[in-house]
Amino acid sequence: MLYVVLFFLMFSLLLYVVLAGADFGAGIVELFSSEKNKQITKKTVYRVMGPVWEANHIWIIIMIVILWVGFPEFYNILVLYLHIPLTLVLLGITLRGVAFVFRHYDAFKDKSQILYDWMFRISSFITPIFLGMTFGAMLSGKIIITDTYENLNFYDIFINPWFNGFSFLVGLFFAALCAFLASILLIGEANDNERPIYVKKSRIANMAVIIIGFITLCYGFLTHNTFVVNFVNNPYAVVLISLSTLLILPLIKSIKAAHKIRTRSFTGIQVVLILMAALVTQYPNLIITSHAEFSIIEAASTEKVIRVLGITLIIGGLVILPGLFHLFKSFKMIKIFEQKA
Amino acid sequence: MDNLDAARMQMAFTLIFHIVFACIGMVMPFFMVVAHKKWLNTKNPIYLTLTKSWQKGVAIFFVTGAVSGTALSFELGLLWPEFMKHAGPIIGMPFSLEGAAFFVEAIALGFYLYGWNKLPEKFHWFTGVIVGISGVASGILVVSANGWMNAPSGFDYINGEFLNIDPIKALLNPAWFTQALHMTLAAFTATGFAVAGVHAYQVYKKRHIELHKKAFKIAITFGAIAAILQPISGDISAKDIAERQPVKLAAMEAHYHTTQGAPLYIGGIVDDENQKVSYKIEIPKALSFLAFGDFNAEVKGLNDFPEDVRPNVPIVHYAFQTMVGIGSLLLIVGILFFISLKKKSWWKNNTFWLLFTLLAPMGFIALEAGWIVTEVGRQPWIIHNIMKTKDAVTPMPGMIYSFYMYVILYAILTVAVTWLMARQIKSLNTSKLV
Repeated sequence: MLYVVLFFLMFSLLLYVVLAGADFGAGIVELFSSEKNKQITKKTVYRVMGPVWEANHIWIIIMIVILWVGFPEFYNILVLYLHIPLTLVLLGITLRGVAFVFRHYDAFKDKSQILYDWMFRISSFITPIFLGMTFGAMLSGKIIITDTYENLNFYDIFINPWFNGFSFLVGLFFAALCAFLASILLIGEANDNERPIYVKKSRIANMAVIIIGFITLCYGFLTHNTFVVNFVNNPYAVVLISLSTLLILPLIKSIKAAHKIRTRSFTGIQVVLILMAALVTQYPNLIITSHAEFSIIEAASTEKVIRVLGITLIIGGLVILPGLFHLFKSFKMIKIFEQKA
Repeated sequence: MDNLDAARMQMAFTLIFHIVFACIGMVMPFFMVVAHKKWLNTKNPIYLTLTKSWQKGVAIFFVTGAVSGTALSFELGLLWPEFMKHAGPIIGMPFSLEGAAFFVEAIALGFYLYGWNKLPEKFHWFTGVIVGISGVASGILVVSANGWMNAPSGFDYINGEFLNIDPIKALLNPAWFTQALHMTLAAFTATGFAVAGVHAYQVYKKRHIELHKKAFKIAITFGAIAAILQPISGDISAKDIAERQPVKLAAMEAHYHTTQGAPLYIGGIVDDENQKVSYKIEIPKALSFLAFGDFNAEVKGLNDFPEDVRPNVPIVHYAFQTMVGIGSLLLIVGILFFISLKKKSWWKNNTFWLLFTLLAPMGFIALEAGWIVTEVGRQPWIIHNIMKTKDAVTPMPGMIYSFYMYVILYAILTVAVTWLMARQIKSLNTSKLV
């Protein structure tokens, strides 16, 4: 049952990164667009994300609940030592969510739109950076686990783990990944004369992912980051990341050929491969502290709790996944009908 | 303010905010589907206009409730890491089910909001019903988790360790039913009176009278029925608390000395130092009867408990008085509403509309007061008789800044949402009806 629970945890993580990532990315694409394209993107984003964005963001709640129920000690480290970046992530999620709804449900479309738009764009950009910094902090090797807070200073315990070069690079990497996902998604949803905008954007975002990823690895290697050293020495991780990089060639081809489904599949696989490479390297030691690696399995709750959690997740999954699938599917179908009509 | 106080203030502030939005997001879908059903049945376009404007309200409140709820799911751990480390596995069940219910709600809302003219009529309407039902289910599950903090169960506490965890027993803790019933009725009362009040004001101001009267009637029917049923639930709660948390009951009533045939105090000013309540109305033997169903039963006073396990008496007492006072008022007005259905002349009198306008915020004031009773009344415990709040708080210093950040954030959100609602109504009033 432990593996069922771990599967759901990883599954939620993947879906959160891909779905919510594309959501965040849509705001980033809008932010880095010309004034005219911003308005086009705004309309497309609303049409594409409107029905599904709320559901996309619930995956993080599922993750949090699985962590605190199934792996309380693990969760405890995150909330204790990464309090500040997590609070900033929350601030971003809140502002972004309300801005998205305000700008579409405000009864009058006037100057206040400018405020909502900028709130949406900026928080869409900042939130994944802080989220990425949180992931980076887990692997930074700078978390100091202690019971005697009085003897250490605030900066070392609560700031240094996430506020450092490596974490920041991971944050940027994650934001670039989001922008990449979103621009690929938007290619398929835009109409013919708007499509070239997103084709161009997806190329830029893809380059950004590769370049920032490469810089992150180099920086980590030069600063003797445990995770990066493990990463480059792990044959599976190297194979996975190479595969992901090689996929770029067929991806560019299929973007050119305007193959909607193939493009999305390649992108999805690419992102999943990157995540898998990172997981293969570190699993099950998903937190690296200043003097040890912390295993998620050792932090697991008792068997009975895990069993009940696993059963709840399976039942929940049986209810939610078909509904979610139907939601995605029906709005896609509706769009196709609209285009025909 | 020390770290513990700052963390408690932040938690209280976030909850006070979240509760309002969550309740409206949970109850308004029911008003919406009733209006929608009436549109389907009568094809009176007023109902369509009403449904669509309520749906915008639901969308705005749902999102605000959802994001503040996401924040809360993190805050539980961020502010109270020691609590979540031990309680997380035990009360994970209601939270994971709540996650599922919330997910269903988000999916159904996606269908509902974007399904106009696209989905089959009846299926579309039904997705709205699912929004409402799953919303109430999430509410009940979250309250069950809170119930566990008042009535911890489903584990053995041995030498400071939580052993033999049984998540299902924890979910069905002794407090879950009384609390969930009381809260669900309170949510319907508060939202019913608030929404009715907003529409009553529009009638008072003579704007689109036909539409706002229809809206008023739907909302107040829910609110009035819930308000009339609430005393039954309140009675069950009082008897339950008398058994399980006698110190909370004593604080609610500012009852210091253990007595047989204890009197009930209504109102009054608490002098905690001298253990006196002045300017109160005293009903002999009523407290004993309400708590135990026996006029001569013994009710334990605060003095029977060590000083370090007593909650703040004045806060709990005043909050309790506020809740009961407003609850009784809304009960009477609820009955008046049903009488008004027979006496149509009342509806022509503007005082009638003014009355409901003034009552708009009352339900929520009572609801917040009720939560203050149960939460402040549980102190100093975060898990009743097991773990103290001060032992659960985060060791990270400087929580006061985090508190300020949340105050600013939620103050802005409150102003923004109020402003948006005012604009919705303005737009509704300036629009021609379909």
